[in-house]
Amino acid sequence: MVATIAQTTETLRWLSTEPVARVRIGQTPHAVIHQDRKACVRYFAPKEAVHPPLFCVMPLINTWSVFDLLPGRSVVGSLLAAGVPVYVLDWGRAGREDQDLPMSHYVDNVLGRCLRRAARHAGVETIDVLGYCVGGTFLALHLARNPGPARRAYFLATPIDFHEGGRLCRWSRPENFPLDAIVNGFGNFPAALMQESFRWLRPMGAAAKWKAVVDRGHEPAFQELWAALERWNGDGVDFPGETYREYIRRCYMDNATMSGGWMMSGQPVDLARCTIPAMAVAASEDHIVPAAAAHALRKVWGGPVKTAVVRGGHVGVCAGSALPASILEWLGS
Amino acid sequence: MTTQATPDMKQMGDELYKHWERAMGSWWDQVLETPAFLGAMGQNLEAMAGARGHYEKAVDEAAERMHLPSRSDVVRVAKVASMLEERLLQQEDLVLGLKDQMVRLEREAVQARIEAAEARIELRETLADIRAQLGGLSAGAPVASALAPAAAAPPAPSAPRSAKPRAR
Repeated sequence: MVATIAQTTETLRWLSTEPVARVRIGQTPHAVIHQDRKACVRYFAPKEAVHPPLFCVMPLINTWSVFDLLPGRSVVGSLLAAGVPVYVLDWGRAGREDQDLPMSHYVDNVLGRCLRRAARHAGVETIDVLGYCVGGTFLALHLARNPGPARRAYFLATPIDFHEGGRLCRWSRPENFPLDAIVNGFGNFPAALMQESFRWLRPMGAAAKWKAVVDRGHEPAFQELWAALERWNGDGVDFPGETYREYIRRCYMDNATMSGGWMMSGQPVDLARCTIPAMAVAASEDHIVPAAAAHALRKVWGGPVKTAVVRGGHVGVCAGSALPASILEWLGS
Repeated sequence: MTTQATPDMKQMGDELYKHWERAMGSWWDQVLETPAFLGAMGQNLEAMAGARGHYEKAVDEAAERMHLPSRSDVVRVAKVASMLEERLLQQEDLVLGLKDQMVRLEREAVQARIEAAEARIELRETLADIRAQLGGLSAGAPVASALAPAAAAPPAPSAPRSAKPRAR
């Protein structure tokens, strides 16, 4: 009992120091090699390059730093230690002036330019690419329209069959979700609303989170990781309005990645047109992108597709050691 | 007594929490899928979006009445800047593409010149061989024996040159 009281006191003392505000994430040294309006390509150089370079596309709705949470809990850090030069596409923060930008602006223009600049900077003709969550969906759409210098693709927790997306899919049905009214009213879809909807996907998640704080809040390793994840979670990015409208309508409502019939700026979107090898990886505890939604890539992708499951949740997977190991295995294959 | 009781209390608390979490979780799962919840969620979102739209319109109108640049004006200027930035990036892309093409053409031209020079050297060497053989003929050697080695094997100095990888 005395021990429990001491632990609780320690936890309360730690919480009172505002750990989320103090923690620093995304601290691995890097250089910005290309600025594309608000987006940029961040280059992380290893001490000695052993593997070919990797270009990572992050989700549009969060910051890139989930791949570089803390020393020892960093996907980028693990890849650098193994000798992989890493390029990360950071989309930046959309403002009101971006609300009319169509999805093709991000999928074709920004992503294409950044990918070409990364390959150019690395001095290679072809480059391996990785997409995470919505970033993976954007990457798949881009590759299907113009593979450019991409050699192989690794899709992490990337929704492809949106009708396998569980509760999120049911919520976004046209009869439940007034998409046009939302985009017309808000302009860009607010990050705070997005966070709220993710919280409601698993209402008991908040209770579980605080239970974990009560149980393990006195452990320094837990404290640091918890604060880092909270910091990242609270730092959402608004989804540009018109892009959000097209994304929700075509993906969640029509499931056009699977059924086809999607014309983006006059060109069809057909994942079967991309023939480079791909790897579709799902997180075992993912409640946002279930494995069925991620692994559906093999039904529509034009090239050979391997599937795998990595231990972790949708975000937690980036804090564990299983993901870097899986990426390195894929890079070495 | 205290040390015996403490772990039991903790275990009991954990069990209680687990039961509560499971029960609440399944209750929420049912609620979140009901048409009532989904309908209310949609209406709520629509109302929020509408309110936000009205608020922004009111702010813009107030700024206009005071002859101040409204938020829409600022957004319009930012859009123009963004469009210009996009065009610059497209131009930069074109320039880089042209630069790559120039480098490729230059490399091809240099390669062609190297190959032409090598061909001329080989030709010169062949000519020198023929001249040497002709010299031997004019010195009075029999024709068959003088020409036979040259026809059977390629000229000795040019063989290693052609086997050498060409510099790029």
